[in-house]
Amino acid sequence: MEKSQYHAIGKTSIRKDGISKVTGHEIYTTDVVLPRMFHARVLRSSFPHATIKTIDTREAEKLGAVCITPRDVPNLRYAERIVTIPSKTFKDRQVLTHTPRHVGEAIAAVAAETEDLAEQALSLVRVEYERLPAVFDPFEAMKEGSPLLHRTILFGQDEIKVKNNIAASREIVEGDIEKGFKEAEIIFEETFETGRVYHAQMEPKSVVCQPEADGGITVWTTTQTIHNVRQLLGEIFNIPLSRVNVKKVALGGSFGSSIQMNSVVPIGVALALKARRPVKLVSSREEDMYDHCKYPSWIQLKLGAKRDGTLVAGHMKVIIDIGAHNTQAYPLLGCMAGWWVSLYRLPHLKFEGRAVYTNKVPACAMQGFGNPQVTFAVESMMDMLAERLEIDPIDLRLKNYVGLGETFWGQGPTVKSIIRSCGVEEMLRKGAELVGWKDKFKREKKEGVIRRGIGMARGFHTSGAGAPMAGEVIDYSGSIVKINEDGSVDFLTALMDLGGGTLDALAKIVAEELKVPLDKVGISPVDTRTTVYDVATHATRGIYCGGGALHKVTGQAKTKLLEFASRILQAPPHSLKMEVDEEAGQGMVYVDGVQGRRISVGEVAKTAQINNWGTIAAVDSLRQVSCPPCFMAYFIEVEVNTETGVIKPTKALAYADVGQVVNPDLARGQLFGGLYRGLGYALLEDTQYDEESGELTSGGWITDFKMLTANDLPEMDNIEVHFTDTYEPTGPFGAKGIGEAALNPVAAALANAVYNAIGVRFKKIPITPERVLEALKGMEKRND
Amino acid sequence: MKKQITLTVNGVKRELFVASNELLLNVLRDHLELTGAKYGCGIGECGSCTVLLDGEPILACLTLAMAVDGSDVVTIEGISGSDGRLHPVQESFLNHGAVQCGFCTPGLILTGKALLDENPQPTEGEIREYIRGNLCRCTGYTQIVKAIKDSSVKGKA
Repeated sequence: MEKSQYHAIGKTSIRKDGISKVTGHEIYTTDVVLPRMFHARVLRSSFPHATIKTIDTREAEKLGAVCITPRDVPNLRYAERIVTIPSKTFKDRQVLTHTPRHVGEAIAAVAAETEDLAEQALSLVRVEYERLPAVFDPFEAMKEGSPLLHRTILFGQDEIKVKNNIAASREIVEGDIEKGFKEAEIIFEETFETGRVYHAQMEPKSVVCQPEADGGITVWTTTQTIHNVRQLLGEIFNIPLSRVNVKKVALGGSFGSSIQMNSVVPIGVALALKARRPVKLVSSREEDMYDHCKYPSWIQLKLGAKRDGTLVAGHMKVIIDIGAHNTQAYPLLGCMAGWWVSLYRLPHLKFEGRAVYTNKVPACAMQGFGNPQVTFAVESMMDMLAERLEIDPIDLRLKNYVGLGETFWGQGPTVKSIIRSCGVEEMLRKGAELVGWKDKFKREKKEGVIRRGIGMARGFHTSGAGAPMAGEVIDYSGSIVKINEDGSVDFLTALMDLGGGTLDALAKIVAEELKVPLDKVGISPVDTRTTVYDVATHATRGIYCGGGALHKVTGQAKTKLLEFASRILQAPPHSLKMEVDEEAGQGMVYVDGVQGRRISVGEVAKTAQINNWGTIAAVDSLRQVSCPPCFMAYFIEVEVNTETGVIKPTKALAYADVGQVVNPDLARGQLFGGLYRGLGYALLEDTQYDEESGELTSGGWITDFKMLTANDLPEMDNIEVHFTDTYEPTGPFGAKGIGEAALNPVAAALANAVYNAIGVRFKKIPITPERVLEALKGMEKRND
Repeated sequence: MKKQITLTVNGVKRELFVASNELLLNVLRDHLELTGAKYGCGIGECGSCTVLLDGEPILACLTLAMAVDGSDVVTIEGISGSDGRLHPVQESFLNHGAVQCGFCTPGLILTGKALLDENPQPTEGEIREYIRGNLCRCTGYTQIVKAIKDSSVKGKA
């Protein structure tokens, strides 16, 4: 179909939840209030590693509080993230623990009539700890004799021993690296480090639980996946899934922080079941910061190339400090290998990754799932290689990138597919032209207090984790579509909108397929009872996978619609066409080439009702058999103040290949947002630990964690965003994803620009003013 | 110990019994069921709880209800017209794609409104400076700054 014929896809519209959000009427978990509701607080470990000798809740109970300790919760180990198939899932968590392994881990909880009373009750719970030695550095943790966090963990159903705190490891080989490095004319090796960033989503992780009279439970919570929360709660509390219902509510940001079932959810459920009253548990900001963070990484990368710039071999060694629990380190390592080898062609490669336990906050997915880390390393190396070869860094990238028709395995070695749409060349060539790359990019020493530089980097993310083979990762979605008796349409999906406008895109897919006006498509409020399974909104999969499934189901409803219309219009279904009539506010069905044989979707549905033909509806699931890469490039300009060490990003150009753009203004929003979080990742954000107390040095304060504000970014006219002219043949109306791609290359582009400005190659982020000054001082000394 | 206070909330006079340690945010959210002001940190770091107190943007999570006895409070629920017509800043946020997850949106719209009431034609720098206490993790602020800037232009026309 010609793009120009779309009436909904690619058109700017007011987001469907917009009015509710700008008027304050949108309901988030933290806004849910139920009759007779208790408020809960959690007792969290003050020590990074300890065993609990005794817990005394008697005084708290005297106040009327309901208390739970590890003895009151099911004694089983679980994984809070269940996207990997069960046989490859590592389980090391408990609802409440006798052995806290990081400061802030939950030990006990209380619920009472008011928050005030719950807080008082909490202060009366007495805990006797026996402190255990703790370890904070992953390299220390792997040494013989280091304190062991977990003696055993479950791998699938099997109990396995943990050796040297190694939670998971992977080795992936393709070709023969010895041979590859022998063929190389230039070999070089560097080590990169990235920080432990806090998600800082605006809504703290929360849950409201209502115990039901039939022994079931209804749950409202901050999550990216209502079905996985339901399945885990069913498993932990041994309740049939038909009695566990998780409601979909708006989510106040996520960025990966709610990709798993948050630790507060089973605590809230256990309290509600014991209290036989609804319970609300809202994390404080401090508790939230002690719950999860981004995977920090240590990446050693060795590359071999020919003198003409062709890459021939690569060896990557990765160490991930996952903190106290293994949320999903095994797939993470596979994906990190995948991000690496899917950027540039490497005939011979070896990847060795290890995930290591330490007594810190557990790390989990955060926008990119290892991709920003790998892209920072690889895209820094590409600039270094280009400099050594004295060629333009853009030319080097064009020579080596994995593109159209090539096999890639972005989501790990079991998720292989072929690239069928690719805007890399367009974004690199046009982007360079738009920023005046040829004039601005000069490899020369800059002078003065303020030094300016320009840098670029590219990257990608997969649209979901689909592939022809089933692999180790579950990835499919499902939907229900029904056409109402007035020609409007309801669709039901468990897919979450994390704020990016995923569900608006889905509404447009329905409107486009059925040729009904967009304002006649309703997004139904749903829960796990009224929807079919959807894995999660993660992996940049919303539009491509969730939207792909909805497109399929809408097509099935359309088949039924045309069959009914054919009875009315007395013409075979395949002679019927559809078009939108915005004036009538209807989709129209007509017999092509025959005057007067035209009927609205509403009339078809109403006639079907009156004649008792039934409702026009469909339900089905879809697994996408590829996960097309959404490509991304950033060109960033900076000013570095050599006296203060402050790096100011002054200009940025983002160029994205999202296939067909579905929501233009919201897609731009993804790029602005990705740039902002990427700059924070590159310049400022990290969590650090006091190794005596095991506490965060930020103390759980946002102010001391440090985030960029509205004041620290390029002016609005200095940020440009562009989309390539691409069409993904396997996507709904040609669309693929964007979310994580928008962040992945930012840190590398920024670091490359800083190098261009001051000649210092930062291999560790964040590049704080202190680190800039230190590096400049070091350079002066070397020059003396 | 509870005490009676009077607040005019979104134009309606309210007599309320509040405890001495009760925060304005809790009074709005729990007593009056106005949940547009959000709890994001509880310690004045994020701006999600912003409301207008006698026209000034304040952090409701740091304000004791008793301390503002007699004041005029405007929340996000109170700035659209009685006919449901949106305030120009609300309208502009929608038209510029300035809303993503929406959790910071009420606070940012009220802060934007307060700025425009004070300074109808702010520069971009003035807007960024004024809203820097309101954190947004989704948008990167670009479309929010545009939305505020554009509603100031419209307001003048």
